[in-house]
Amino acid sequence: MINHRLTLDYVLAPGFFAPFIDGLLTATAWARRCAACQNVSYPPLRTCTCGEAAGEWQKLKGQADIVWRTEGVDGAFALVKFDGADTQSVVRLQGIEAHDTRGCLYRPDGDAPQMVLGPISQDMQT
Amino acid sequence: MSLPPVIVSGAALTPYGRRKDGSGFRDWAAEAFEAALAMSDLECGDIDMLFVATESDFFSMQLNPGSILASDLGLVGVAATRCEGGGASGQVAVHAAVNAVASGSAKHAAVIGVDPSASSLSGDAIRTLYGFSFDAWTDGMTGVTPTALYGLSYQAFAAEFGTTNDDLAAVTQQNRENACYNPGAHLGRRDSAEEIAESPMIASPYRRLHCSPLSDGAAALIVSQGSALPRSRAGAPQVAGIGAATDHMHLGARSSPGHFTAKTRAIKIACQQAGIVPDQIGLAEIYDAYAGAQLQALLALGLSDQPAQDLRNGRFAPDGRCPVNLSGGLMGQGAPVGATGVGQTATCALLLEGRYHSDLQPKAVPQYALADTHGGICTVAATTLLRQAVAA
Ligand SMILES: [Zn+2]
Repeated sequence: MINHRLTLDYVLAPGFFAPFIDGLLTATAWARRCAACQNVSYPPLRTCTCGEAAGEWQKLKGQADIVWRTEGVDGAFALVKFDGADTQSVVRLQGIEAHDTRGCLYRPDGDAPQMVLGPISQDMQT
Repeated sequence: MSLPPVIVSGAALTPYGRRKDGSGFRDWAAEAFEAALAMSDLECGDIDMLFVATESDFFSMQLNPGSILASDLGLVGVAATRCEGGGASGQVAVHAAVNAVASGSAKHAAVIGVDPSASSLSGDAIRTLYGFSFDAWTDGMTGVTPTALYGLSYQAFAAEFGTTNDDLAAVTQQNRENACYNPGAHLGRRDSAEEIAESPMIASPYRRLHCSPLSDGAAALIVSQGSALPRSRAGAPQVAGIGAATDHMHLGARSSPGHFTAKTRAIKIACQQAGIVPDQIGLAEIYDAYAGAQLQALLALGLSDQPAQDLRNGRFAPDGRCPVNLSGGLMGQGAPVGATGVGQTATCALLLEGRYHSDLQPKAVPQYALADTHGGICTVAATTLLRQAVAA
């Protein structure tokens, strides 16, 4: 047998997507508003579903409705719709109960820019 | 636009499964290529171009599989291209070869799909890597698995069409029952509905037995210009049409996340080339990475507008009007990822020639067969329609 172990530490520059990636690390949802149709995509689309590439960055409140959720051996994930976004997002659910229908963006554990949805606390709701 | 005559002169698959015999992916590629070449009645020197599909360098620890296999197979000197389309890589390679032959760039092109998907890495490593077969910077970073993404997409589909866990069990049972008659299948088995319902939950609603396995294996095709075909191969099937398309990478950017829209686009192109409608397709190898994905595919491909009901009424059974996944599909036959699309097309070719495994070979061979493959969460779809030889 050919046994070989690789350990890889990637460092990738996010370029265009920097506001989105940097925002995740501080639990801030930076979305993209299309200059043509005004649709807001989150995660941001470099080219809108209408075909337009021009647009501007827009900060969302960071709270989302859960549309579909799945749970299993690798944790819980959901397709959610952030308030103010026209597209939906795949997120990891953390601390969200089965009966919860909403959540908000959380700062990820560790350095990786993850989309994590956690429970909305009382003071966040106001 | 119809295609100039492109013929599948050779087709072969190795057994799929978890190989424990000390053989490696280069051996399986050679085994499949030699069998396809023998069927074509051609020699190595007749091959002008080689198209290779392997899904990921991470699986094979090989960044240039095209030139490696050209050397191994005695094809040094030919143009060798590696093709990538995630799970659709194999079918993307088939399309590249068909286009090369149709354009006149090659008289005979070889296609090889191969991956050591079952044995080269640990299950955990594979799962981590697969998260990056979607958008690695968004979905991938969450740690989402393919099963979870497919589970989300299927829930949207099920809510619209009213499909149930019983329907998922029916797909699972039919595909794995077919695989019991395929001596090259990874997972021929007969599970009761209860056993399926009690298998471990991987990502709801998908349980372990609703998922296709990752396999080791290879498949090969030789595609040839009609005018260059050896006389002995007059009965070989023709490529009637090919169609490929993409969808938004993000499930959430799609207006209907439960619909496999890329497949609908792809089959429309393939049918236009072939001059047929989906209703004329008489058998199909469908990309059933998960049980629900088969139902989603049947709808998207226009093979049914009520796939769960049609499955139950026998339309897709071995003796039905359009047998689906006689091989067992990915769920039963298995999935050495780069080989999958090549193997699906090879299976269709062997079935149309009446050369498939005897227990699965339909007595009345239909005129048209469909090989349907996709990558991502149907982010890239590639379909190939084959037509029985006129002389056959
Ligand atoms: Zn737009």
